[in-house]
Amino acid sequence: MSGFYGTKNKTMERHVLLRDVDVPNIREYDVYVANDGYAAWKKALTTMKPDEVINVVKDSGLRGRGGAGFPAGVKWSFIPKDIFPKYVVVNGDESEAGTFKDHQIIDGNPHQLIEGVALCAYAVQANTSYIYLRGEFYEPAKTLQRAIDEAYAHGMLGKNVLGSGFDLDIHIHLGAGAYICGEETALLSSLEGQLGQPRLRPPFPAVQGLYAKPTVINNVETLANVPPIVLHGAQWYRQYGTEKSPGTKIFCVSGRVNKPGNYELPLGKYTIRELIEMAGGTMDGRPVKGVLPAGSSAPILPANLLDTKLDYESVQAAGSILGSASFVILDDTVDIVWAARKMVRFFKHESCGKCTPCREGTYWALKLYDKILSGHGTLADVDMIGEVAGQMAGKCFCLLGEFATSPMQSTLKHFRAEYEAFIANHQGGKMNGYTDELIREGVLAGPEGVITRH
Amino acid sequence: MADLVNLTIDGVPVSVPKGTLVVDAAKKIENDIPVFCYHPKLKPVGMCRMCLVDIGMPKIDPATKQPVRDEQGNVVIAFMPKLTTACTTPVSEGMVVRTATEQVRAAREDILEFLLTSHPLDCPICDKGGECPLQNLTLGFGPSVSRFDYDAKFHNEKHVPLGDLIYLDRERCIQCSRCIRFQDEIADDHVLQFHDRGRGMEIITFSDPPFDSYFGGNTTDICPVGALTTADFRFKARPWELASTQSLCTHCPVGCNITLNTRLETKSGGYEIKRVMPRQNEQVNEIWICDKGRYVHHFTRAEDRLRQPMVRRDGRLVEATWEQALQLVGERLKAAGTSVAAVVGDRIANEDAYLVAKLVRALNGAIGMSPSVPAHYADVARAFGVGAHANLAHLGKGDVILVVNGDVEEQAPVWFLRLRQAVVDRGAALVIAHSRSTKMHRYARAIHRYEPGYAARWVADRSEELIAKESLKDARNLLIVFGDEQLDGPSARALAQGLANLLIATGHAGKADSGLLPLYPHANTQGVFDVIAGADRAAASNGANGKVGADLRSPICDSRFEVAWLIGVGDASDAPSAGFTVVQELFMTALAKQADVVLPALSFAEREGTFTSGDRRVQRFYRALPPLGEARPDWWIAQEIAKRLGHSWGFQGPAHIFADLAHSIPHYSGLSYEVISKSEPQWPPMGRGDLYYGGTVYDNTGGLGARYASDAERDPAGVRPYDGAAPEPTIAGLERRPRPLYRDGELIRRSAVLASHIVPAQEVA
Amino acid sequence: MGLKEVLTRIVVGFATVLKTVTRRPVTIQYPEQQKPMSARFRGRHHLKRYEDGLERCIGCALCAAACPADAIYVEAGENTDEERYSPGERYAKTYEINMLRCIFCGYCEDACPTNAIVLEPIEFPTGYTRESMIYTKEMLLESPPINVPATPQRTPPGKYDRAILPFPPIDESQ
Repeated sequence: MSGFYGTKNKTMERHVLLRDVDVPNIREYDVYVANDGYAAWKKALTTMKPDEVINVVKDSGLRGRGGAGFPAGVKWSFIPKDIFPKYVVVNGDESEAGTFKDHQIIDGNPHQLIEGVALCAYAVQANTSYIYLRGEFYEPAKTLQRAIDEAYAHGMLGKNVLGSGFDLDIHIHLGAGAYICGEETALLSSLEGQLGQPRLRPPFPAVQGLYAKPTVINNVETLANVPPIVLHGAQWYRQYGTEKSPGTKIFCVSGRVNKPGNYELPLGKYTIRELIEMAGGTMDGRPVKGVLPAGSSAPILPANLLDTKLDYESVQAAGSILGSASFVILDDTVDIVWAARKMVRFFKHESCGKCTPCREGTYWALKLYDKILSGHGTLADVDMIGEVAGQMAGKCFCLLGEFATSPMQSTLKHFRAEYEAFIANHQGGKMNGYTDELIREGVLAGPEGVITRH
Repeated sequence: MADLVNLTIDGVPVSVPKGTLVVDAAKKIENDIPVFCYHPKLKPVGMCRMCLVDIGMPKIDPATKQPVRDEQGNVVIAFMPKLTTACTTPVSEGMVVRTATEQVRAAREDILEFLLTSHPLDCPICDKGGECPLQNLTLGFGPSVSRFDYDAKFHNEKHVPLGDLIYLDRERCIQCSRCIRFQDEIADDHVLQFHDRGRGMEIITFSDPPFDSYFGGNTTDICPVGALTTADFRFKARPWELASTQSLCTHCPVGCNITLNTRLETKSGGYEIKRVMPRQNEQVNEIWICDKGRYVHHFTRAEDRLRQPMVRRDGRLVEATWEQALQLVGERLKAAGTSVAAVVGDRIANEDAYLVAKLVRALNGAIGMSPSVPAHYADVARAFGVGAHANLAHLGKGDVILVVNGDVEEQAPVWFLRLRQAVVDRGAALVIAHSRSTKMHRYARAIHRYEPGYAARWVADRSEELIAKESLKDARNLLIVFGDEQLDGPSARALAQGLANLLIATGHAGKADSGLLPLYPHANTQGVFDVIAGADRAAASNGANGKVGADLRSPICDSRFEVAWLIGVGDASDAPSAGFTVVQELFMTALAKQADVVLPALSFAEREGTFTSGDRRVQRFYRALPPLGEARPDWWIAQEIAKRLGHSWGFQGPAHIFADLAHSIPHYSGLSYEVISKSEPQWPPMGRGDLYYGGTVYDNTGGLGARYASDAERDPAGVRPYDGAAPEPTIAGLERRPRPLYRDGELIRRSAVLASHIVPAQEVA
Repeated sequence: MGLKEVLTRIVVGFATVLKTVTRRPVTIQYPEQQKPMSARFRGRHHLKRYEDGLERCIGCALCAAACPADAIYVEAGENTDEERYSPGERYAKTYEINMLRCIFCGYCEDACPTNAIVLEPIEFPTGYTRESMIYTKEMLLESPPINVPATPQRTPPGKYDRAILPFPPIDESQ
């Protein structure tokens, strides 16, 4: 029996998504049904036309929660009506550093996701859906599969659902552990059994997606939003959030805070500072040095921008992106150069290798960071990092390469002084405590018998 | 071209068909946008990011849907915020492309600097050095120095055999995936793939045997770096040392245009072929050749080539001078009267066959061709062959390709590539009738089967059923590819006739892109037939009614002659028995060992001449190598023998002979060396200085050749169906087993690289 | 021409002869006698080796490409770890210089990426036949250092996978 290991933080009177906080055991079919479960599904099947479902979602202003923030209803309306089969693919790859919101939904409230998938499939008239989960979600996948089996058993899925004549099958697919497979076209390639590399767009997935058929791809959290929207209506949903960013959003808070975890909040109501306070403040009450609003792929926000409102537009105006809203809080004990290298190393490791700037640029950047961290860096190397990032930016095939430049460029922009201090303090091969790490990662030769990871 | 799109590239207006990519549109006006991963014959992927350009579109007023204009009335162009890959962006009306801006220049430099961070500095030992797109583009657009730390360079394996014919240098690979995509999209042998990701991404082969493909050599041509090299050419020469001569492949009926790269060698004491490269001919082979064509060239300088005439003295073959040998042959021929039989192999040039036929006709002797089976149906294939201006690239949606009794990939590999594209990429329907499975079966809409040897029977019996079932009458074009495996002469003829009847019945006879496409055994089967059977008419007027033509179909090996003259027949089993045998050959074959006189002939690389391909395209090949020893071209030998019999022809060379040939062979009238040597600019342009665009394929300046019209095209009113009866299969027919590409033979045996691929003779007919 | 003028010319002529009759000749009895050459004089080519005995020449034929007299002929071969002539994959199987054609311009030396070919001030190519003036690899290659095996060598796998080794850092004290 699995269970979400994080703390369950009650931030709203009634949660829209994290309903496992309000209702214990809502992952059980009976409990879920007792709490308005599958009511939206029944309502849609019996009283609504597919287009009406699309329109409700469109009216609600629900934006994709995967990172790009594209309006979900608009995406669904792009699906051609006359090509069959169509597919609904659920992106549960959740591979952005510091993101764990889908995990809690899948684990704690799986039926809401299934209902959302079903509504989406009905709206675009797709009869098959694939839920793509990252390979590490082995336990959550079992929970979800149990929930799907329950839904089948109660006639919510399968042939001729609730006598409506609509068929729907949901399959779970576990990925093999690649960050790039969170990119929607790479996810489709992976799902088809090919190498997980992004595809050329156009054609967009809505026209030629999975197996070259029209395909909707939505994030787990996005689809979990759909049942309450369909049940209560667009206006009800718009009571939360702002005009442009309606609804609630799960904020994953991690890093140097006392209570890391998922916090579901209406968009645009709180600031980053308030979010940190909700998460119990920083450890030992130390001052915040910077915040990564969307894991490693978002430019870092320095402490002076903590009063930014938590919605897509405000974070963008502050010079970063809200993305998947996985806030990593860095306090003043964190060495920015070390942290930036960590992220660059992540991107170098996760680059799919398809396009030149990302494949070679991340490799080059990591070599520069390794040089600095191992105590051989110069100020010229710091400039070089900025130039490599600048050389990559705007030339990559997909967003991974573009994201990879943000830890480099944003830390250089806000914390250049730290780089300079780091170099001054680490001259002549002085490593100040990073020796073990560099040996472990294979940058430095270690003593015999030490296993290194490349 | 109805749908033309207008755009401007660096201020130059250009109109191209809808769907053209920006990089190709720029190519039209000779604006060479650098590329690595893009290849005009492959689908774009946009991986290398080298072709980044600045693209703008006219700003459209959302209300009026009209372009917004500024005060001067110029259309306002909205440029994209980021640079866009020219290789993945199709053109659109009013598009403005800028390739000369500082931003684009910097982007190209950046990408090259990135590529070079992991690329080794071993240009001096790299086989691509000198014709390397990465080298050229670095010189053209790259940074002058790298800021990358040399010691931090990524190292990888440098010697990875991908199969026994292709080697991979992982360090040089720039991950453009051209080889993978060629194997997937063109050859349909899915043998290569990327493995791992990021900087660790590398090419692997996962087939067993590794890199199992007949077309693998082409990947080395399109590889933009020296990552892929052939076992044959690896470290053999630097590209700038090579002389190139335009030539033709002699191994199958496709007639692929090739370029022979030659170089001075110490061990052979003269020039020798170092490699065979494709030569662009969009009508024939586009830019591809198969591995047999690429690797089977070592015979031209094999140690055991015949270099000196030999005559039998006291039961042993001893070397002689040409004068002695020719004198002997002349005397014996004079004594033989009309009891003379000549057998012409189907790999010798038209000019040679023509002079042999001319001499035999003058002697009133018998002539035959080897192998003899194609002689039974070559006239049918000619009468109902594809039109003079047919191109396999025209076939697409609405067309039907019918393959009967032939294995296209094994017997005409490049036709396989082109037919496959017609079916898979352009939507032609493929119907196959065969007694066994072939690779072509993968794409078939319908598959029909019959017992081995019953092809002709099957066609005769099932034609009407086939026409109805496959709705052949409704097809836009009907192309029929057929082979003669497991058929004897009469059955093969019946098959060809049955298929011709099918064309007539469905109303496709004489149409431009419809007709028969025979899978002959060698490069000049049709030409040799045309030339020696064409003598028919002349012979008839001389009163020797049809004797020559009749010989072509009735097996002359059953008769006994005073003198048999075998020209380039290899190890043919159907040689006639004779009191005195003259063999004209490249090698000491089993037949030559028993001959009374052995005359050394020149190979195709040492002389010029013409071949007529299976689809009746007459093409020229040129001299690449100096003559070997005392060997002489076949036409010279024929002319010298004729001289000793009192016929002074005085032909100066192949061009002279061809003029006479075109005069006396009706089908060839109108053809001349001038006509077939003409070449015109082809699309996509390849083989020029910009090696990065098309690869190291050579440009065609030696002539695209010309196809003579089929009889059905010349005289549509004269089209009559044949008598539809088909004979029973015979043992002799059934023994003619399928011919695999790498079947054993005198020529392939001399290519050591293919040694492990050769299919032994006992497994082949 | 008067008598006086004739006599004057005879005298001048004899004076010239007398002046040079005591002077030492400028020619020397080559090859018994040899003139000292400048240390920078470029004479016959040598193919150099690394300290471990491997040949520097990798058979890239850039010297042949650079040669304005077309005097160099190279045929390459492929190294294996069992039979290694030079670092990397390629080595010169045949290396010939036609000394009659060579104009001793030194372009080959400039073109060489591994500093394998060097024109040394010693030895002048001489010979009685044209054939003997074609210097083969055996004649051009210098002998390995003392106690170092000649090529081909058997080498440990992976040790010599690179043809072009980075040049050693320049010693600035010299």
